[in-house]
Amino acid sequence: MNLNAAFIYQNINYVGSSFLFVIGLYTVLTHPNLIKKIIGINIMETSVFLFFVSIGFIQGGQAPILNLEGKPVLYVNPLPSALILTGIVVAVSITVYALSMIVKIYEAYGTIELDEIMKLRSEEANE
Amino acid sequence: MVPSGSKEDRNKTGKQGKPLNKWYYRVLNYFCISCIIMFIITLLLVGAFVAVVIGRTSDGANGNIGGSLTVLYNLLDPLTNYAYLPLLAVFVPLIGGPLEAFIGKRNEGLRDFTVVFSTFGTFIIILAMFPQVADGGITNSIPGVFGYGLHFKVDMLSYIMVSTAGVLWLMVSIYAHEYMGMEHHRDRFYLFMSITFGGVLGTVMASDILTMFLFFELMTFSSYLLVAHNQSPDSILAGNNYIYMGVGGGLAVLVGMILLLFNTNHLDFVFLATELSELGWMQYLISGLFIIGFGIKAGMLPLHIWLPKAHPVAPTPASALLSGLLIKIGAYGLLRVTTSFYMPSADLISGKTDPLWALSKNMGIVVIWIGVITMAVGVFMALQQSNMKKMLAYHSISQMGYIVMGIGAASYLGYIGAMGFAGAIYHTINHAFFKALLFMVVGVIYVKTHEIDMYKLGGLWRQMPFTAFVCLIAALGITGMPGFNGFASKSILHHAIVESYEYGHPSFRYAEIIFTIVSGGTVCSFIKLFSYAFLGKCPEKFQNISKDGNGMMQMAMGGLALLIIGIGLAPGFIMDQFIIPAASNFTYDPYFIKKYLVDMNFFNQKDLLAMVPVYILGIGIFLTGKKFDLFHLHMPRWMDFEFILYKPIYKNVMRISQGVTERYETRTNNADVYIYAMILVASLFFLAAYLR
Amino acid sequence: MSNIHMPVYLLVVLLGTALVIPLMAKMTNRIVNIFLTYAIMIAAILSVFTLVNVLLNGAFTYHFGLWHPSYGIEFVVDEFSAAMTVLVTVMSALVIIYSFKDVEHELEGHVIPGYYTLIFLMLFSMVGMTLTNDLFNMYVFMEILSLTSCGIVSIKRKRENLMASLKYLMLGAIGSISILLGIAFLYMVTGSLNMTISYDLIQNAWSIYPRNILVALGFILTGFGIKAAVFPLHTWLPDAHSTAPTPSSALLSGLVVKIYIFGAIKILFRVIGINIISEVGIPLFITYFAIIGMIMGSVFAIGQKDIKRILAYSSVAQIGYIILGIGLATESGLSVSLFHVVTHALMKSALFLSAGAVIYQTGKRNVNELNGIGYQMPVTMTVFSVGALGMIGIPGINGFMSKWYLSFAVLEAGRPLILLVILLSSFLNAIYYLPIIINAFLRESKDRENILERDQVPKSMLIPMGIIAGLCILFGFFPQLIMGVIERAVLTFFNI
Repeated sequence: MNLNAAFIYQNINYVGSSFLFVIGLYTVLTHPNLIKKIIGINIMETSVFLFFVSIGFIQGGQAPILNLEGKPVLYVNPLPSALILTGIVVAVSITVYALSMIVKIYEAYGTIELDEIMKLRSEEANE
Repeated sequence: MVPSGSKEDRNKTGKQGKPLNKWYYRVLNYFCISCIIMFIITLLLVGAFVAVVIGRTSDGANGNIGGSLTVLYNLLDPLTNYAYLPLLAVFVPLIGGPLEAFIGKRNEGLRDFTVVFSTFGTFIIILAMFPQVADGGITNSIPGVFGYGLHFKVDMLSYIMVSTAGVLWLMVSIYAHEYMGMEHHRDRFYLFMSITFGGVLGTVMASDILTMFLFFELMTFSSYLLVAHNQSPDSILAGNNYIYMGVGGGLAVLVGMILLLFNTNHLDFVFLATELSELGWMQYLISGLFIIGFGIKAGMLPLHIWLPKAHPVAPTPASALLSGLLIKIGAYGLLRVTTSFYMPSADLISGKTDPLWALSKNMGIVVIWIGVITMAVGVFMALQQSNMKKMLAYHSISQMGYIVMGIGAASYLGYIGAMGFAGAIYHTINHAFFKALLFMVVGVIYVKTHEIDMYKLGGLWRQMPFTAFVCLIAALGITGMPGFNGFASKSILHHAIVESYEYGHPSFRYAEIIFTIVSGGTVCSFIKLFSYAFLGKCPEKFQNISKDGNGMMQMAMGGLALLIIGIGLAPGFIMDQFIIPAASNFTYDPYFIKKYLVDMNFFNQKDLLAMVPVYILGIGIFLTGKKFDLFHLHMPRWMDFEFILYKPIYKNVMRISQGVTERYETRTNNADVYIYAMILVASLFFLAAYLR
Repeated sequence: MSNIHMPVYLLVVLLGTALVIPLMAKMTNRIVNIFLTYAIMIAAILSVFTLVNVLLNGAFTYHFGLWHPSYGIEFVVDEFSAAMTVLVTVMSALVIIYSFKDVEHELEGHVIPGYYTLIFLMLFSMVGMTLTNDLFNMYVFMEILSLTSCGIVSIKRKRENLMASLKYLMLGAIGSISILLGIAFLYMVTGSLNMTISYDLIQNAWSIYPRNILVALGFILTGFGIKAAVFPLHTWLPDAHSTAPTPSSALLSGLVVKIYIFGAIKILFRVIGINIISEVGIPLFITYFAIIGMIMGSVFAIGQKDIKRILAYSSVAQIGYIILGIGLATESGLSVSLFHVVTHALMKSALFLSAGAVIYQTGKRNVNELNGIGYQMPVTMTVFSVGALGMIGIPGINGFMSKWYLSFAVLEAGRPLILLVILLSSFLNAIYYLPIIINAFLRESKDRENILERDQVPKSMLIPMGIIAGLCILFGFFPQLIMGVIERAVLTFFNI
């Protein structure tokens, strides 16, 4: 397993997925803005979906539509795509829930920067 | 919450407004009548019990004293042959406690009556157990509990402790009614006193260490509520000290028990020296854990610091029970462990030099020296106190040092350790009686004068002649005057320590010297107590203290005083009937027992003469002390165990946890995703490294 | 009774109730409460029947739609799943009965039907996650559980709830993503999502693709570590469990965290298998985290002043015990781990419910303000004392038995030094639980007098607390009632 350009080109899906995962994790780690954190989580989720779907791809396979001519045909695995549909729904619901909570947090605290919120909370705790 | 005094005040002017005689109305109070009746029945029962016991052993199964005794036996057969007596004895107080608390809300007098009645009932059950125990012990089990089942077994050693507990609790219950008039939350006190009684009975009747642990913890927690009863800040601090050390001791016993079960597959008290000797260093760890665990309860140095704090703050009946019995449970646990886990069974050894005694011997050396140091420090600290209860607490530590030394001698001498065994048990019984009596005396003084500092009292023998009389009896008992019970047990302990250096290592000679000095110190301390409290000139404010309201207390004290004198005049009775059968159950040399212990002549010349220098030394120390004012010394700071060991540990634990919490909690809570990233990378790295 | 559809009926009842409640939102509270009580009782009875069926007739598998397991979803109903389902339904029945009166105090009126919808959905997903044998199905149930458990934290619209819930959601999402990535790596190697089929395929693939399986393990362990609050990934737990309404705290601390541990156990032992794990050295790795968690959880708890925060940190320490049992990787270790799951669920529920009752009556949460409360609320504080004494390890309460079994499991696995750690953590537990009990019963405060009164808490809150405390004491004296079932359950993990 040598890391030259041909290898990366052939497995570009997986490499891209790992890049996206790290980018998403970095976003969640460093940005104090809550909405950016949610975007970071979305990026991480997208990277995992990309990874999962790429597992299903088979070189030289056709689209998984039923072939009524009876010849054995190599199909791309449809299962991961079906699973990821569920996964995308889950990601969307998490994002929706988080965004609605951020709206409420903005109403309550007046800011959506995490460090300012932490400062307000520690002042409140020290009273 | 009205004390009984006001009921009589209300009745003071009776018909036609004539003031009626106070004692007449007090006797008509039904609590007092029932107590007097129960007390007389108890005296008769004890007398009958003694006669029965002597009758049994002097002539087989039926006494030769007459046909009346045979009739008595036949009458009592169904009671004494009931198989579940131990379980009944444990459950009667445990059920009686909530019952008393329930009744106490409605009627105070009925509650006190129930208290005395339930302890009386338990005492009868205990007395009824004797025929079966003398035949070979009673066993009961509750299967299935904890997966191993609860097992009870009453052999002679347990029976001695159980009967002492029964008598003591009965007397303290009678005493407590009038003392508790000045405390509040009485229902709670009686509830937990009964639960403690049940716990104590369960602990001493247990036949495996898990059952003993269950009741031991029950006893610790319920006696905590007796110590912290006053709810004053001092009480809460003393109670905290007591319960944390109690929980710590319980955990030490638990770890020892787990290691024992895992390595030898035995929980019950059987002879395990062969299995333990194969374990190497683990056997010392297990025995060390048991010594620490039971030693905290017994008040051994350096684990004794809860005792002098707990006694002054507890109400006097609780102090009497704490000193009288609860600390003995620690010594009892140590004795049980010594006589079962360290002892090889009789058919496996060849005599006193068999190598299987090695564990017993090594632990014995440690325990003897701990006992000796405890004795010395206890009496030294006692001489410095002015608070009477604190002085008695330090004396308890000192006397427990005697008992622990006796256990150590029994363990050290191994096969010929029966003398130490006998001394330890005998002193347990005796100390229970005279220490409880001393606490009761101090309690009466406190009720009348509200003064606990002995330097501020004086000349009380005129106001409280009966109290002064029983105090004298108790003081003579604890110092070891021939004719009172302390003499017998101290002589036996003296023999035990002499044997240790005759048959063992000669360095125990110094232990014997310390023993004598400590006995002298005890004499001095009690001369001090008696002279400052009762003799001398009476201060102004105590000239006219009320003389009534303590009939029941005097009765209880009188009962204990009678026991002290009774045991003192016939020391051989307890020895022959109870202690020698107890020792025969264990692997002690029967020839040794027969030669030295059976029919021991207590009043021989050597022992009597040995008490003389002790008394002279005591009087000497007292006079020197008064002249040079030596009674207000303080130990230097660096020798105070609490200061160098416990306070720093406690402070550091709290400081570390507060510091860690303040500094790191917010940091870790903010750095959550960083921590995730770090751990992810670390685990992937660790797993990938596996493949290299 | 031997109906094999019983588990599915259970799921249908829970899901159906969850869907019907919003339609009943306009009815009076009383009718809704009675309906909910019936629903959860039926669920509990169904789960008990399933357990009895499994104990008598053996385990069975249930194929949804009668599809073959290699491409359909399969439920495995064996002793483990049935026992844990009983635990979930019975505990939540008691907590739901408690919650009827409590939520009227804590939540606004119009969100209460939504609250119960969320709770029933949460129960649905917990039972589903325990029963399922399919990896992606487990992921789906896990996501439902994650969302609904965040929901029941943020349903109280105070601002600290919202922050706590958002943090829980974010960290939970990161955890779920890690788990999904781990499942992806496993799927790459095996091509099947069914756990039993994957096991054989992974054993074959271990020699060919070791790196995939190891990377999968890394992601899965970290992901479950976040969701199960293993130290140091526990940081969401104190905020979430302390700010949530009391019934939610009890359910979260007692049940939800454990369900993730069940998922982790299933993947570790049934998919990857004990052979590979022991070869790589995972048990030792897990044990280190467990030991640090046991000590640090208690250290953090000593410095807290809010009573629910103390209980939340105590949960972190207790989860350390459970992880320690798993990390020993022996049969006795796993059985003590499951026993402690049951024990901790009972004790922590008792503690949280009684703390909630105290807050209900007095409105005070700071431990220093609760002096003398034992006289005004004797039943509540007795339940609290039973739970606290069990945590410390006093014989007679089931916490002692789990410490006892854990010590023996540790000694059997040959790691005697961990015994010291268990001893130290028991003592640290005593340091922060005993002062609460002592202050409640023995100190006096200016606000109240020390006269024994009756609790002013409604009966529907007192009775579940009393039942839970009674169960604690019952299992403390007769632990073999549970241990018998658990020992049979553990065999299913080792005898594949």
